[in-house]
Amino acid sequence: MVNYLIVLFAITLVYFASAERLIIYSRLIGLQGLLLCGIALIELKEVSTVNLIFIASESLVFKALLIPYLLVRIINRSGVSKVHHQAMPGFYLLILSIFALLISVVLANSLINPFINTIYMAIALFTLFTGLLLIVTHRLIISHLIGFLIIENAIFMFSLAVGNKMPMLINIGILLDIFAGVLILGFFGLRLKPHTNELTTLKD
Amino acid sequence: MTLLCFFIISSLMCISIVLLKSKTITKIITLGFALMHIAFTLYCWTNLNKTELSYFTYNSAGVLLLSVLSFLAIPTVYHGFIYAAGDDVKKYNIYHAALIALMTFMSGAYLANGMTVLWIFVEATSLAVAALIYHDRTEMALEATWKYVFICSTGIALAYLGILFLGFIYGREDAANLSFTSLANIINQANPMYLKIAFIFVLVGFSTKMGLFPMHTVTIDAHSVAPPPISALISTTLMNVGFLAIFRVYTLFSSSPILPFMNHVLILAGILSLLIAAGYMLKAKHLKRMLAYSSLENMGLVAIAVGVGGVGYYAALLLLVLHSLTKSSLFYQMGQLSRVLHTFKLDESGRYMKLYPAGALVLIIGMICILAIPPSGLFIMEFMIFKGLVFNDQWFILIITILLLCFVIYAMSTRIMHIIFSDPRNEDSLRPPDKVNPAETISQFVLLGVVIIMCFYQPPFLVDLINQSISIFLK
Repeated sequence: MVNYLIVLFAITLVYFASAERLIIYSRLIGLQGLLLCGIALIELKEVSTVNLIFIASESLVFKALLIPYLLVRIINRSGVSKVHHQAMPGFYLLILSIFALLISVVLANSLINPFINTIYMAIALFTLFTGLLLIVTHRLIISHLIGFLIIENAIFMFSLAVGNKMPMLINIGILLDIFAGVLILGFFGLRLKPHTNELTTLKD
Repeated sequence: MTLLCFFIISSLMCISIVLLKSKTITKIITLGFALMHIAFTLYCWTNLNKTELSYFTYNSAGVLLLSVLSFLAIPTVYHGFIYAAGDDVKKYNIYHAALIALMTFMSGAYLANGMTVLWIFVEATSLAVAALIYHDRTEMALEATWKYVFICSTGIALAYLGILFLGFIYGREDAANLSFTSLANIINQANPMYLKIAFIFVLVGFSTKMGLFPMHTVTIDAHSVAPPPISALISTTLMNVGFLAIFRVYTLFSSSPILPFMNHVLILAGILSLLIAAGYMLKAKHLKRMLAYSSLENMGLVAIAVGVGGVGYYAALLLLVLHSLTKSSLFYQMGQLSRVLHTFKLDESGRYMKLYPAGALVLIIGMICILAIPPSGLFIMEFMIFKGLVFNDQWFILIITILLLCFVIYAMSTRIMHIIFSDPRNEDSLRPPDKVNPAETISQFVLLGVVIIMCFYQPPFLVDLINQSISIFLK
């Protein structure tokens, strides 16, 4: 069951590379939050019930609900609905994304470890590469934010892989979620003026 | 117990500043904090290698950098009082509460004895710095803060991935805090590929704080708008936090077979930092941005020094200390320069020697010190780095480094000399200068004086502490 959820998670990442509407991005981020909640509930069998409830509710409240909600508000305020300033056409991004998937699988197979499932490693690496690709190839601030949120999901997936043995690592990863959700999206994201697409006042 | 008291009192001080809404009380509390910090550092000196609260150890490298922070505490507080004097009570109090929080978080990061605790404190510094960069509440301040928070968040996320890779090596419940001691015991049994990936993630992630290539842009933009006393901290003690995080992982992995790999990566990052610093300094038009690029150049040298090994380790640590003293004095001077010239733009600056001779003298001495021209203490450190490169037969790196440093010297000296002696290129934008008391430069002269003395005499207690910090490499 957990493998199906992980594969579904990987499909959302490929969809990220091909989508152009920002609202789709926010929905995909919400869907990823739900999938991570499901993976946490199935995978973390050895952690205490209280900790499991905390982790599952955090991923549900922050990742699946609060962050997508804040993203939608920022998208509405910015007045930008599509990624039309991206530096690279979607087709090439899709090819890069597939290439990143292949590299992730090869890398995960070369990093076989008794403490971690290879499929976790492969998809978490793929998630990380997708987040970095979005940040590097897009110019809109919102796209950068979404890239960062994808990197966060990569971290959450990595930490789930060792979560049974080291639950503290997941709890610290959750700190990062709160940091991003509340400070970056809630405070600064909502303070950006409407129609702000790029921030380029400060330069040499 | 002392450390717990330090954290509790610092928190109470922050809360009282926000709640009491009085500038006088804020001044007293902030000064009290600076004095408490100095007392705490003295306590750490007398209790070296003691562990407190399980997660903190008064280790030599941490105490060395904590001492630098303590040394800069009173000048930073003093220049902060002057900078924020015209603010309303709310802004004034937020500034000082965030300053105390930043110094407390940095102290925690210096003394952390495990990767996770260190990471938490580094993440916390981003919160405090964000509040301080946003102090002026302008659009540019919002942009700089946004970029700082965003890039730092990405950086610390990547650093956390490095920590997770360390977790994959260990994978046991009893090492949940990933303490350096527990990791040191198993590092030789780990897959070198994991160690390499962990090191790369930690280096890239914490380079947001160290201001090293490839995440150097974050601090450059922050300097454009941050209050000068805060720039002084971001450019010195906060960079030291980033360095310490990377150095701890480097030290941990130094007994593994990936030591040559780490050295090559550090030298590459150092050379690229120097290249970018030299390139951008040659076209710099904003004085604070130029100083920020100078910090990038010095951090590049520190990375090269660690990568060189041998005498380079000693040079790296002392270079950090001396760079902190010099760069902070230059940034404190920026506060006075902006009150005299009303700008940081080079085209609109000039005649500084005539307008404010004491400040102009600080700029000249500061320039000599930061460019490592004798009698600057930094000269000895750079000489040691070159010696290490010659000893390792790394001639190509040596030539590139010297060449890039020549560009840096040319770029900085021509610009500073222009500000001091030439007329402004853009005369139309000139505004009448404000009167600034020359006594405000005393702390800057003291700091620069220490840097010059270090060229001739390095006190034994400092040498001992640095040698203890690098003792693992001396065996």
